[in-house]
Amino acid sequence: MITDFLIGIFISTLITALFSTRLYGLLFWYSMNSFSLALLAMVIGRDIGDTALVFSGVLTIVLKAVAIPYFLKNIVAKNKLVRRIPPKVKIHYSIILIPAILVFTFYLAEPLSQIIDSHANYVAISISSLFLSLLLMMEHDSVTPKIIGFLAIENSLFLLATTATGGMPMIVELGIFFDLLMAIVIINLLFKKEEFKI
Amino acid sequence: MLTLFFLILPALVMFIVSFSRKKSAKYLLSFSTFLILIPVVKIFNLPKPFNLLDNYLIVDKLNSYIFFCVSIVAIAVSFALLTLEKHVKVKEREYHRFYRFFATFWIGLILSILANNMGIFWIGLELATLSTVYMIKTNKSPIADAEAWNYMLVGAIAISLLLFGIILMYASAKPILGEEAMNFSSLLANASKIPSPFLFEMGFVISSLGMFIKMGFFPMNLWLANIERASFYPVGALFSGILETAVMAGFFRFSEIAMKVNYPHLVGFTLFYVFITMFIVAFLIYRAKDFIRLFALSGIEHMALIAIFWVSGGAFAALLHLGAHAFIKPALFLSTGVLESSGKYHFSGALKGYSGVKGKIFWFLVGLFLLAIISLPPSPMFFSEIYGFAAMIELAKQSDYLLLMLFIIILILILTLVIFYRFIHVYQMMKYEGEAIEKKVYLSEIIALLIFVVALVCLMLPPSIEYLKSIT
Repeated sequence: MITDFLIGIFISTLITALFSTRLYGLLFWYSMNSFSLALLAMVIGRDIGDTALVFSGVLTIVLKAVAIPYFLKNIVAKNKLVRRIPPKVKIHYSIILIPAILVFTFYLAEPLSQIIDSHANYVAISISSLFLSLLLMMEHDSVTPKIIGFLAIENSLFLLATTATGGMPMIVELGIFFDLLMAIVIINLLFKKEEFKI
Repeated sequence: MLTLFFLILPALVMFIVSFSRKKSAKYLLSFSTFLILIPVVKIFNLPKPFNLLDNYLIVDKLNSYIFFCVSIVAIAVSFALLTLEKHVKVKEREYHRFYRFFATFWIGLILSILANNMGIFWIGLELATLSTVYMIKTNKSPIADAEAWNYMLVGAIAISLLLFGIILMYASAKPILGEEAMNFSSLLANASKIPSPFLFEMGFVISSLGMFIKMGFFPMNLWLANIERASFYPVGALFSGILETAVMAGFFRFSEIAMKVNYPHLVGFTLFYVFITMFIVAFLIYRAKDFIRLFALSGIEHMALIAIFWVSGGAFAALLHLGAHAFIKPALFLSTGVLESSGKYHFSGALKGYSGVKGKIFWFLVGLFLLAIISLPPSPMFFSEIYGFAAMIELAKQSDYLLLMLFIIILILILTLVIFYRFIHVYQMMKYEGEAIEKKVYLSEIIALLIFVVALVCLMLPPSIEYLKSIT
């Protein structure tokens, strides 16, 4: 029951992020998305008695829900980046597009849901969140929302790993976290005073 | 443990020396790559396969060969880097920083090439991808800045798809293998027992898409070429000779398992994907107006051929082609520093204007490499393509779709012909058209090209051929 609630929060924060027109708002929704994911991992970890998964959840809170949004907010403030980020896809189109993606991914993941016994619908949600994260990357011109889209993809993958496999081996999880930190270091090096257009 | 220490030693030395402000640091950085030869020799002398770091890493005949190829490329590129500032504007600080990320790149590559664990393979590849982002940015231009972001984001999407596929493959085998489902060797040994082949195949297709995007296959045919155009020319050499080779090594590992799960599906998927990629790339090569894009796009063509040779059962052809490509393409990328002396978009006369012994050796070698990349004999690519296409025809004969497969093979051959004629045309423009404008060649560049020549000759020696055949 609690996992259903948390996964609902996970997908709804991502959808809200897609409608966000302010950069700090987007960072907040990313943080909430990571937080709900971390709680979900901890709950599933506790249920299946996997302490490594609980530890991954704690690490997710520290890194993805607190440190990364705080760090990105600092970068935005330091470089005086434009904080108004209207999406290229208009809201009334998004209202049609997002449910279409959700329905499509449930249809796409149906054979998988039959194969994976535990948390079957969550696999469909993690695939849809992957597509929604890609949409987040595509619907913005500026770099910062694209970075958040990339980080949201990481969240979708973490959700898939948690729900489809009950968590990856610990060394792999730690490696993924390390790579994420490396990505943040590179992002910091890439930033200049002005906002780039790609 | 000692082997592992020697494996990361060059990267450690490079990383530490890159902080030095001394003039001699530049030479020390270049020569530090020679330390790579220690683990290469050690690995070749030890009985294989053997595990490193518990069973997270494995050294077998396949990855020893790939590790040897990328090591040669790394050594030659570091030689050519000695005279980078003669051809492009680069500050000493940026040059040192380039090496700092080269060291990180090298650690990532060791992890991905020697990985016996899908997760470790992914971590290594991600580390290598992220470190190359900053290498692109060493070129201080707005285009390079934008392309570095582009690489970061598209690379991230590709690598995410790869991880997505890995998770699905892991999920498919976890019920019977537990955490061992992450290991390539365990998966290969138990491929026929995987309880959900559909889930595995879906994971394989998604992860292959990620790897194909990273190598510039359909639908992302131009992103790699644009990035290599925006960066300094040694980045192109590193991408084509090292990164693409490491990604292909991953494809070999994954497809070995997929072959046992459902071989006809694997052949159908790869053949279709390779054909679409070749179709687009052939015409892009036909329209290419500069050396870097020409070589980058040609790299995609060769990677596509390697993939289909491997899947068709022509493992020897694929490995020979992979080695030859790893030596020829970086050599061509490294020579663009001199070839583009008169400007980016000047094919005409690019092989004219060389004086002195160094100049003559340079144009002779570049001419040789250009003709070798289009598989003219005695290039190893000539032999690998004969073996590779023979394997494809053999496979077609055994399949239920003989005519369809033969039709696609003929179409692929026609597309390679388009590429062949474009390269011949470019070579003729370089040799016989345009004015002879004097070009300066440096000793380090000649040494780099000679290293590749020696490596290519070694690749064609009977013991090397025997070694490659024994891998399969």
